[in-house]
Amino acid sequence: MAAPARSAEAEARLAGLQLPQSGAWLHLARGAAVSRLRAMGLPVKRDEYWKYTDPTPLTVAAVPVAQVIPGETEGFDGIDCLRLVFVDGVFDAAASDNPALAGVEISRLAEAATQDIHWAHEVYGVLEARGQTPVARPLAALNSALATDGVLIRVVGKVSKPVALVYHQTSTASDAILHHCVKVEDGAELTLLESGPAGARSNTVMEVQVADGAAFHHVRTQGRDHERRTLTHVFARMGNASRFKSFTLTANGALTRNEVVLELIGADGVAHVAGAALGNGMFHHDDTVFITHQGTGCESRQVFKKVLRNGATGVFQGKILVKQSAQKTDGYQISQSLLLDDDSQFLCKPELEIYADDVKCSHGSTSGAIDDTALFYLRSRGVPEREAQSLLVLAFLAEAIAEIDDATIAEAIQARLESWLAAGAH
Amino acid sequence: MVALDKAETDVRDGVDRETVEAVNAMAGKYKHGWETDIETEYAPKGLSEDIVRLISEKNGEPEWMTDWRLQAYRRWLQLDEPRWAMLHYPEIDYQDQYYYAKPKSMSGKPKSLDEVDPKLLATYAKLGIPLKEQMILAGVDGAEAAPAEGRRVAVDAVFDSVSVGTTFKAELMKAGVIFMPISEAIREYPDLVKKYLGSVVPASDNYFATLNSAVFSDGSFVYIPEGVRCPMELSTYFRINAENTGQFERTLIIAEKGSYVSYLEGCTAPKRDIAQLHAAVVEIVIMEDAEVKYSTVQNWYPGDEEGRGGIYNFVTKRADCRGDRSKVMWTQVETGSAITWKYPSCILRGDDSQGEFYSIAIANNMQQADTGTKMIHLGKNTRSRIVSKGISAGKAQNTYRGLVSVHPKAKNSRNYTQCDSLLIGDKCGAHTVPYIEVKNNSSRVEHEATTSKVDDDQLFYCRSRGMDEEEAVALVVNGFCKEVLQALPMEFAMEAQSLVAISLEGSVG
Amino acid sequence: MLEIKNLHVKLEEEDKVILKGVNLTVETGKVHAIMGPNGSGKSTLSYVLSGRDGYTVTAGSAKLDGQELLEMEPEARAAAGLFLAFQYPVEIPGVGNMTFLRTAVNAQRKARGEEEMSAGEFLKVIREQAKTLKIDADMLKRPVNVGFSGGEKKRNEILQMAMLEPKMCILDETDSGLDVDAMKLVAEGVNALRSEGRSFLVITHYQRLLDHIKPDVVHIMADGRIVKTGGPELALEVENNGYADILAEVL
Repeated sequence: MAAPARSAEAEARLAGLQLPQSGAWLHLARGAAVSRLRAMGLPVKRDEYWKYTDPTPLTVAAVPVAQVIPGETEGFDGIDCLRLVFVDGVFDAAASDNPALAGVEISRLAEAATQDIHWAHEVYGVLEARGQTPVARPLAALNSALATDGVLIRVVGKVSKPVALVYHQTSTASDAILHHCVKVEDGAELTLLESGPAGARSNTVMEVQVADGAAFHHVRTQGRDHERRTLTHVFARMGNASRFKSFTLTANGALTRNEVVLELIGADGVAHVAGAALGNGMFHHDDTVFITHQGTGCESRQVFKKVLRNGATGVFQGKILVKQSAQKTDGYQISQSLLLDDDSQFLCKPELEIYADDVKCSHGSTSGAIDDTALFYLRSRGVPEREAQSLLVLAFLAEAIAEIDDATIAEAIQARLESWLAAGAH
Repeated sequence: MVALDKAETDVRDGVDRETVEAVNAMAGKYKHGWETDIETEYAPKGLSEDIVRLISEKNGEPEWMTDWRLQAYRRWLQLDEPRWAMLHYPEIDYQDQYYYAKPKSMSGKPKSLDEVDPKLLATYAKLGIPLKEQMILAGVDGAEAAPAEGRRVAVDAVFDSVSVGTTFKAELMKAGVIFMPISEAIREYPDLVKKYLGSVVPASDNYFATLNSAVFSDGSFVYIPEGVRCPMELSTYFRINAENTGQFERTLIIAEKGSYVSYLEGCTAPKRDIAQLHAAVVEIVIMEDAEVKYSTVQNWYPGDEEGRGGIYNFVTKRADCRGDRSKVMWTQVETGSAITWKYPSCILRGDDSQGEFYSIAIANNMQQADTGTKMIHLGKNTRSRIVSKGISAGKAQNTYRGLVSVHPKAKNSRNYTQCDSLLIGDKCGAHTVPYIEVKNNSSRVEHEATTSKVDDDQLFYCRSRGMDEEEAVALVVNGFCKEVLQALPMEFAMEAQSLVAISLEGSVG
Repeated sequence: MLEIKNLHVKLEEEDKVILKGVNLTVETGKVHAIMGPNGSGKSTLSYVLSGRDGYTVTAGSAKLDGQELLEMEPEARAAAGLFLAFQYPVEIPGVGNMTFLRTAVNAQRKARGEEEMSAGEFLKVIREQAKTLKIDADMLKRPVNVGFSGGEKKRNEILQMAMLEPKMCILDETDSGLDVDAMKLVAEGVNALRSEGRSFLVITHYQRLLDHIKPDVVHIMADGRIVKTGGPELALEVENNGYADILAEVL
């Protein structure tokens, strides 16, 4: 299946990395992931799925260097949460909070080598493997094979506060491979936050199993400088009447590709995936979403907004696949970009693939400059141009931010965004 | 403009009624599935350099043309058949086809229509295309002629591999318009053909276009000189009759500065159990301030309910808006073919040039359609508009695939895309695969797509007023397609409306 | 004309019984009104009579001139002379109002074995009818009900009624969403269509419509049954005292 050249690349990459020491089940899961990766080979630019993003910086053995920026603030200051800190892709227990919290069991992936965490057998590498069809995602398989650290979170009740994964980069050449597994049991509910740079280059996979009637909320911030390369995959599998909401705020970063691969298996599930991205200069931001409707009566919603300037590139590849069984599906997708100057570009492939008839699916996509009339109107009322532009940028992003349910977290995101715009960081 | 619209609406109301009548009158399904019993001369089966040379020789072509074909053939041998479309069909055996078939009676090259084999004339008459120089309405059998006195359409009738005849040639020539089979144009206007052939769709463009470049046998050639508004609509009517025969036609239209032409294309084929190949190329060159309208009602045999037979339709159509303020409008109604692979495209090279694409694609039973357009914005202030209506019924799969590309230099450009899919029944599929690439910020690109099923409330409302279910579906679906039907020349709109209804027969209940 | 006997109906998808034995006879040339509180089953009755999906008839019959309606397709009921003026007329984008009506008129004529109406004759008739209902030419050309105001939609229903010449007309909450002027206009349209051979069943929540369309008989419907029948004075009683008194009396 894989061309010889790409297998050779995969072999070279594998040779450069060591399969981490693991307990029996994890060792098997890693072995299976290696086989998947070998069968697929590493992605190359000519792959249809990488049409708009060159995967080379993510696949090459040598980590592209990224400066460490001192004094970066975390994304969710002032929010009461349980913090789990990773430095250059390694868990830092000293910097982290005590992981004991009612309703949730948290363990470290690196420790799974010695523990038999039963539920994780059915999640680790399993959701990722399911997500390999119909589109191959070799770098996710690479992650399952080689992840050095991560957390395993099992949620059994309503958790009183969010769990936050906080990432720090201290080395200019750190190559972080993190793998998290989350299982939200029947009727349970968790809010998971992620913030900060995981490494100079990072490859993060999160597998999320949301059981019947359970809810998973995910809010993350990433980026903030011009050099890091980030690849993330979220694989989610949803039960009856479950809820999944994910929002990502990205500001800059040389290369960011966020993939969400979500399956609505049970009936009446609700899945919302949203993102707001601000890119300035050497910035390539790619949202790739694949939502499969299998259960009846499910709702999915994708809202992605990008503000681009100084040669920044925004990419959106979003797909809604409605299987024949998924009657009464309500699928919606919007991808929009605001190009603040003439050098920036927006590349977009919004897809619908529908095999059930009693459905309501739609997508929309727009690209254009800031509305001159609105800008003029604000200025004629005395608002300085920069401020007026910031206001309009915020208005443009509002639909995506509205996807965050928790008001406090939404405010934190909004505040962060406003301060960036005010500081002219964008 | 407003006044014109009003008049048209009145007429269309009449058309709608007649459509429904016509539909009711036609109990049968594919109505062009009969065959003309005529002696046919074939080139040997299969494809080789010798066959390419033979086709060239049959057409009495100059050496440069033969070489052009051979180059294309050699290139084709190195290419792989594209497989990216959402189409599934058995492997095509390119050696198990005839690449040239011509009625024996055409050997003597009739000098005028009067000399053409009556059987051939009867074939076209039966298709509703009388090859006479009189008012011609490409209407539906049994439908009354709409009140359109004085509308005349010149027809080039292509039967299997050859052009049978072209009407109004002399009168068009008086206006300076050249309208003739491309085989003749190669002999009579070699300089024009040499200059433009392959300049929009190069011989190496894609697998099917390259195959066409090697083996095309006939097609139409149109040249509209500077400042001329073509005095009548031009049309080519393609008929595949012979068995196991591929049809590979080539159309070349050149619209010089400030000229205008409206061109219509129709296609049908007999019912057969074995699939037949059709790989056409249409190239359009449009100079400054010129405008070309190209309308297609594609009604090739779609195959039967089990997916046996039907035409495999692989078509490359492209318009090059070379001059400033040039304009092209593609309108297509795709109801036939077992497989449709077709993306009429616009290269908007000139500043202020405009491209429009209006499409209805209906797939019923086991049909598969993967069709759409490409709008390549290169010039400043270029405009494009895409309206695509896909209807899936039975076990059919219908895909819209399109590209809107706005290059960095195409400042102040606009695109609007509306892409709607309708599903009738729960065994079919409707898919949308747009690519949108915007590389400057002064341009505005908007894309909207929806997929839904045919609305039960609307059907019930119609039925409560006395219409039966098929009539109600036809009416609602025609409403869904209205925007595209309105873009068609009136006679075609009428045929298209009835086709919409016929194509969906058996899809409800 | 219309004879409904012991009609029991439940929702197809839920086990919810809506009509619990409706008995009602509308004589030729008469205007009957059905009044009742929300949820009493009035609209369900109109939908079941016209053949909308989603309901299951568990018992009973409904005959139009002796012909069983409940076994017929919606279009056959229409051809037999039944007309429902919808509470919420449906919008059909892309289909011209005139096209829609002509298709319907001729479909019905054909079903009855009558000659179809020619384009010229149709135009003449529709223009006359439209004029009396103050429907302008533009409204005739626009797509069916798309972008119509509430009043325009209801007038359009009456225009269809006028064109289709049914013998049994059901008006489902035709006054809902109309101001007084619009209601008057609609009522005038209906009154103009009253004739010896044509019957009406006017379904309404309020008495005010019956000031304009004078009924011969008034029925009160509650909980899926006709609970009281009387003359026009019954409507006035509802107007003055509400439904509570009557319901208390009969239930």
